[in-house]
Order: sequence, then C-alpha cells, then structure tokens
Amino acid sequence: MTLTGWEAVFFWVFSSAALVAALLMVMARNAVHAALFLISSLVAVAALFVMLGAEFIAGVQVLVYVGGVMVLFLFVVMLVNVGAEERGGERLFNSSAQVAATILFSLLLTTGLIYSINQGYRGLIERDRDRLEAVGQRRAQIVETLTTSATGTMKISRDTEQVGASLYRFAALPFEIASVLLLVAIVGAVLLARTRKQESVTGDLDSDAETSG
Amino acid sequence: MIFSLSSAAMIHWSMPEAFPGMMQGATRIIWEQIVQSGSAPDLSKFLVVAALLFVIGVAGVLTRRNVIIIFMSIELILNAANLNFIAFARYLQDTGNLNAVAGQIFAIFVIVVAAAEAAVGLGIVIALYRNRETIFVDEIDLLKW
Repeated sequence: MTLTGWEAVFFWVFSSAALVAALLMVMARNAVHAALFLISSLVAVAALFVMLGAEFIAGVQVLVYVGGVMVLFLFVVMLVNVGAEERGGERLFNSSAQVAATILFSLLLTTGLIYSINQGYRGLIERDRDRLEAVGQRRAQIVETLTTSATGTMKISRDTEQVGASLYRFAALPFEIASVLLLVAIVGAVLLARTRKQESVTGDLDSDAETSG
Repeated sequence: MIFSLSSAAMIHWSMPEAFPGMMQGATRIIWEQIVQSGSAPDLSKFLVVAALLFVIGVAGVLTRRNVIIIFMSIELILNAANLNFIAFARYLQDTGNLNAVAGQIFAIFVIVVAAAEAAVGLGIVIALYRNRETIFVDEIDLLKW
C-alpha cells in the first residue's frame, strides 16, 4: 500500500501538520488556542483518513469530532476558563521534576514504539510478501468495477456502502449498545451540570449543602 | 533490548551523568530506524505518525495543570488510536483480507465513545468548577494524604 507521487507529498504535509498542531496544543497558553490547534490536528488526521481510503470515517471525524466534541470543549472553556493562564497569573505546567520525568518517559516510549513498529513491520512484510506483490493488480481490478462520476473525471468509491453494510449487519449489536451509551451520556451530563437551584427544585440537594449555603 | 536498557539505567543511574547519554542513545536509535525504513509512505509510516501523536497526547496529560487541556490531550490519544485502526484497515484491504472494513467500524465506535466520554467529563468539570472555583488539577487535593 505504498503511496507514490503526489500522495506521498500530501502524506508528509498532513502528517507534519498534525504533529506540529498537536505539539503546539500541548504547549499553548490560552485554552482557546489549544482547542483550535486540536481542531487543526483532527482535520489533518481526517485528510490522512481520506488518503487511506476511509472517506466515510474522515467525514464522521470532521462532523462529529471537530463539529461536535470540540465545539462542546469551546463552550466549556467559555464557561469555566478563568483566564489566569493568559494573564500570566498561573503556571502552565506542573513542577519541573514532573515535566522532566514526562519528557524522559516520552522519549523512551517514542523509542520503544518506533523500534517495535519497524521490527513488526519487517515481519509482516515477510509474512505477506506474495499478497503484497499482487496489490497493484487488485487495486486496478477494484477500480475497474467502480462507477464513474457524472462528470467522468473520477470514480465513486464504495467505502460508505461497505461501512454501512458491515455496520448494520455484523456490528448491529454494538451499534445499538452505542446508542444506549450515548443516551446514558446525555442524561449523565445534564445531571452533573445542574445548578444549585435546579437541584433544590427536585429535592436532590444534599442537606449539608443546604445548611452551609 | 529497550526494556533492559531502561531498567538497568533506572537501577544504576544517578541523574546528572546518565541523562545526556540516554538522550543521545535514544535519539540515535530513533534516527537509525527512520533512515533504515526508507522514505516511501507505507503502513509503517502511518503507524509511526499515530505513535508520535499518542506520545504527544500522553505528554500533555502528564504535564498540564488545566483540566480542559488534559481532556483535549486524551482526545488526541484516541485520535491516534483511530489512525492506527484505519491504517491497518487499508493494509488488510490491500492484502486481500475480507474483514478489512472492521478497522473502520472500530474507528466509528471509538469516535462514539470519545464523544460520550467528553460530554460526561466536561459535565464533571463544570460541577467541579461550581464547587471548588478552580480548574487546576493540583489545587484539587482534598484526598491527598
């Protein structure tokens, strides 16, 4: 599945954009800046998903993750962020011993991960050598069977159709469980974020909290 | 090899002397791996990008004081795992495995669970702010010994 030509260029562009945005998010002083950097990183990863042929997941990522979850983060930043970090009143990072230990741990983790990925990849290539040689033909055969778009310039991929078919046939039970999970999350979030007055109206206020006011 | 390196260093080290040597050794190993594997983007490059995003997310969780930034680093970790799933889904599709779309199904469920967890976690953050007037994790220390 080696990418060649312009796809390789776009891979390096989008992956370095994702990594730089992630690094800046971790180091940002302003929480809104950090949210925007994370949005950039998520959109760059969605572009990587498109290059890997998962267009539906890229669309879901941009709509749900960026358009839902990150907007929720920005709302909470608006409600909760005291702004002391931007004014220079609060420290950004934990104590320097913790930061040094984290950097050391991250370096060791990076080394271990890159080493094991390359070792494992060599073994994987050995095991799948004959199947990998036929990749180009297999891709060409699949592209032959796709329908051409209305303007005749590209092919309409079947990724969404395959994902939908698998999701509703083989993953139907996890799908229903995921919808129950979302319902529980909605109810839980509404319950957790009630104000004191809302809690006392339904009689849920703790007696200690009432007396201590 | 990596684990024996780090555990031996932990037992015998004293911080000022061992630290630069370990940084140099780790950097050399990373550079060798990058040079050895060539520059054409195939599956291993995508996995390395996912691994680096994961490590940046872990560093953010361990380092920052603002609880919202910690949550955003957790979302970055989940996104790195998603990239890993989708890269393998493409690889399995290319090598002719019939269950290749399972990687994308997994990624959908990871996004669903991440959204649910973000909603509940931010509800907790709001409740915490209402009661303790702070969002910095080292000031929430009532349970410390």
